Amino acid sequence: MLVSFPHLLLFLFSWTWGILAATPSHEQIVGDFFNKNAPPGGSTSNHTNNWAVLVCSSRYWFNYRHMANALGMYRTVKRLGIPDSNIILMLADDAACNARNRFPGSVYANPGRGLDLYGDNIEVDYRGYEVTVENFIRVLTGRMEPSVPRSKRLLTDAHSNIFVYMTGHGGNEFLKFQDNEEISAFDIADAFEQMWQKKRYNEIFFMIDTCQANTMYSKFYSPNILATGSSKLDQNSYSYENDADLGISVIDRFTHYVLEFMEGINKTSHESMADLFASYDPEKIHSEPGVRSDLFRRPLSGVRITDFLGGVAQVEVGAGVAAATSGADETSAWDEEHVESTTAESPWRGTENTTSETGPGATKSPQWRGVRAWSGVLLLGALVGWVGWRKVVRTPVRTPELPSSLERAGASSRARPVNSSASSLSALLAFDSVDLRPPIFNVFIYFVLPHP
Amino acid sequence: MRKSRSLLALCLLPICFSHSFSGETFNEELTIRGLPDGRVASRFEFSTLLHGATPRNPQNLSAEDNSQHYTLFPLALGQILREYAVTELHLTLNAGKWDYDRWGYPEEPDVATGASLWAWMAEGSAAAHGPTGRHSVDARWRDLRNALAGLFCASIASLDEQRTTSPARAFTPLGALPAWPQSPPHAFRHASLPSENVCTENLTPFLKLLPCKSRSGLAHLLNPHRLFDADWHGMGLHVSWRPEDGVQVRLTFQSVSDPLRTVTTRDWSLSSLFDRTIDRACPVAALSRVVVTLPMREPYSIHPEPSSNANGRGIFDLAGQPLPLDISMHWLEPFQHATIPAGQAPLSVRRMLRGSAQDHGALAVSIANAGPSPVRVVYLETLPWIVHLYLHTLELTVDGVPRADLLEDISYIAPVPHGRAATLEAVLTIPARSTLSLRFGVGRAFLRYTEHPPDAQRGSELPGAVVVLLPSGSGNKTQGAGWWVSTNKGALQRTQTQRQEQQQQRRIYTPALLVDPATPDFSMPYNVIIFTCTLVAFIFRTVFNGLTRRFAILNVPPVDGRLALQTHALSINKI
Repeated sequence: MLVSFPHLLLFLFSWTWGILAATPSHEQIVGDFFNKNAPPGGSTSNHTNNWAVLVCSSRYWFNYRHMANALGMYRTVKRLGIPDSNIILMLADDAACNARNRFPGSVYANPGRGLDLYGDNIEVDYRGYEVTVENFIRVLTGRMEPSVPRSKRLLTDAHSNIFVYMTGHGGNEFLKFQDNEEISAFDIADAFEQMWQKKRYNEIFFMIDTCQANTMYSKFYSPNILATGSSKLDQNSYSYENDADLGISVIDRFTHYVLEFMEGINKTSHESMADLFASYDPEKIHSEPGVRSDLFRRPLSGVRITDFLGGVAQVEVGAGVAAATSGADETSAWDEEHVESTTAESPWRGTENTTSETGPGATKSPQWRGVRAWSGVLLLGALVGWVGWRKVVRTPVRTPELPSSLERAGASSRARPVNSSASSLSALLAFDSVDLRPPIFNVFIYFVLPHP
Repeated sequence: MRKSRSLLALCLLPICFSHSFSGETFNEELTIRGLPDGRVASRFEFSTLLHGATPRNPQNLSAEDNSQHYTLFPLALGQILREYAVTELHLTLNAGKWDYDRWGYPEEPDVATGASLWAWMAEGSAAAHGPTGRHSVDARWRDLRNALAGLFCASIASLDEQRTTSPARAFTPLGALPAWPQSPPHAFRHASLPSENVCTENLTPFLKLLPCKSRSGLAHLLNPHRLFDADWHGMGLHVSWRPEDGVQVRLTFQSVSDPLRTVTTRDWSLSSLFDRTIDRACPVAALSRVVVTLPMREPYSIHPEPSSNANGRGIFDLAGQPLPLDISMHWLEPFQHATIPAGQAPLSVRRMLRGSAQDHGALAVSIANAGPSPVRVVYLETLPWIVHLYLHTLELTVDGVPRADLLEDISYIAPVPHGRAATLEAVLTIPARSTLSLRFGVGRAFLRYTEHPPDAQRGSELPGAVVVLLPSGSGNKTQGAGWWVSTNKGALQRTQTQRQEQQQQRRIYTPALLVDPATPDFSMPYNVIIFTCTLVAFIFRTVFNGLTRRFAILNVPPVDGRLALQTHALSINKI
């Protein structure tokens, strides 16, 4: 036997140390990998997909401004990265192709008609008579006929952030749909509660522009809902401006100023909800907008606008990654891990250079684990080198290849720092490809590898 | 050398494949025609042929379907067709009223106002899910409506049972219906929604079904801002199967623009009609051309020169034309508004709802035949149940003279209130150079409170009637009457001549009618609730007080030496 007993003991010791150093679970490792570039003061949201429900509940041509409100929001959420498949747009009337529209196929929200909100590429999911309270509640709660197509469904899960925007004519705790029926504040509150119980959302941002709008969110009682409205009880919401050629008001004041704020935002903006709410000016809006955040768990300064109005590129690391990869029956787990790789850019792209060294305590333990794992590998390498050197001294053959192959083994293990036990193994196995292999490694492999 | 040759072959490979993607052919054509009143009718046709494909047999719906790999054929549509085993499907979304008298026949015959959907489907296997299971025709028809509503952003899903009819004669399949063994003949379903709007959100998914989208080829001209400004516009989807070719999907867009709206000349160009020019040819189109109908009697100039001329039509093949292409037509003589010749179509149909009463009225139809020979037609009336016909009041007159003999065959499916629409089909003969008048008495239903649309005061729209011209001559008489029923039995291997006859068979759609049903005071339920609650509270209080309280006179001791008698109500629990 070429190897002496102390060598073997030393090897076993270093090997077990390496294994112990690499105890962190898979989830932790993958989570660390995806969070290592997270910006320090960034979004604290952990949603994985974004949805928007935009409702204009008013019919008739003279309510042109309500169509323009909803379409302005549609343009904004689409510009910020929510795809059409994740937007449910409900328009109670057809303003664009209305016979009274002097500019067919166009809806403008500015008196100068600078920006056509209807454009060439629009998908209205519910329109005309289909915009009813029943359909709205069905969209929220997901109770539909099986044959209703996906484009008309709100296919959210427990990791979805939903932006709900409503506009129309309303009053104290109600919003009228098509001058025919009403949805009450209690209806929406109960629908949201049902969504919460059915795990249909992570967080909801509710915005409403109607008279006495703030009463509409006063009845919410489900968690993680942030709500804002255009006017408080006994206050009207007013239209912004008329267009002389259209002969009609083109947008409401509250929505106008919100959209004006949104125009300064792009997919990578760090503006928070607190910034948006601070931009409300009752003098300009002619009513007092309200914010309700008592149900919301995060501080508003940490909630980005793009958490709700933008597409995200965040990955949820499921609880059972290994189980999900192996088990065919774990398809639901895979569904939950669905990565919403939309057109959005990653929210942390702008801060990629400010990496993890700024992170406090949380980032220290992975580093410590890394040091331990690496030192285990180095110790093993030193041991191997020493044995090899002894072998070389005893039987002089071509020596220079050994260090280079060792280096290669080290490089291969450096490429995958997340799994140090496997990499120390691969450092050994990498010698399989080396022609000049000391026989001592057969013994090592014999001990390290599991026997079939 | 060898390397360069193989490189050349590699470069040529896409070109070889471009015109027939493993059995798929895409053709596009734009037809532009000047109308007698100075307007310009344009028709886009995009047809994709899937060679050798057959419709899915609904008996095999439970079995796994073949995987669908298409290159040019729209997958979103193919999935719907396979999932619901639809043999033939037609969907039209039109806005406005096609004026047959001034414009003649349209290139695409189906110009019914609003949304119309009709389809032929075979019965699914009843063994697995029963006659009303999810493979039955009615269940698949419902699912098809939902799927198309999602695809085209239209309210087609609301074409429910109350609007679905199955007329037997007026509609005939464009292609063939396969005769599967152990399968009952195909069933036909038709539904229309005349109040449907057509706008950009319908055009967006339409363009997404095309292989080149709207980026190149003729589809680039489909500019929503100009198309929806037109006097009339409509889009259509037509899926049919021909045994010798395969499954064909035709997407059509028709519009009638009016150059005279703003200027006094009827000159037009692609850029004036669509605000765009053809910048690039669609590389996957096997045939891509613009056909312009040239004026016969008036001097004109057209630029650029057509590639070829045939039958008074100039043909511009995009392959041989310099791009960008902007065809412009210029008339050398000014337009005379009075030169519109009357009678562009052989028949002129008018239909109106008479009577101001809210519970009854009359439906009057007049069909004028300006031609020298009698014309036989199928008259189809599909009425939602809110208006019901009294068939015994039917009167047929020609110039005031009753002519019951002109009515050959009549079939009527009565409406079911709150459930089913009525279908009336009749074969009529219109004598030469005369006007046939039909008159029915109709009743208007009293709708339930919740059945009114949100804008109830505007009224509801009745779908237009359909007049189908039957081929003249005694030989075709029986064929015209029960045409598609007989073809179902006979395996439907029709010859080319039969199909040409079929295509010549024209349909005339009348405009939709507005009917105003009796509308209640919509605040009435709230008034009733308030009054009833008040009354109930009053009665309850009286009864409750009478049962639980006792009223007694109480003598109060004198205060300040004065004797005062005061009455108090003392309430004590009754023992």
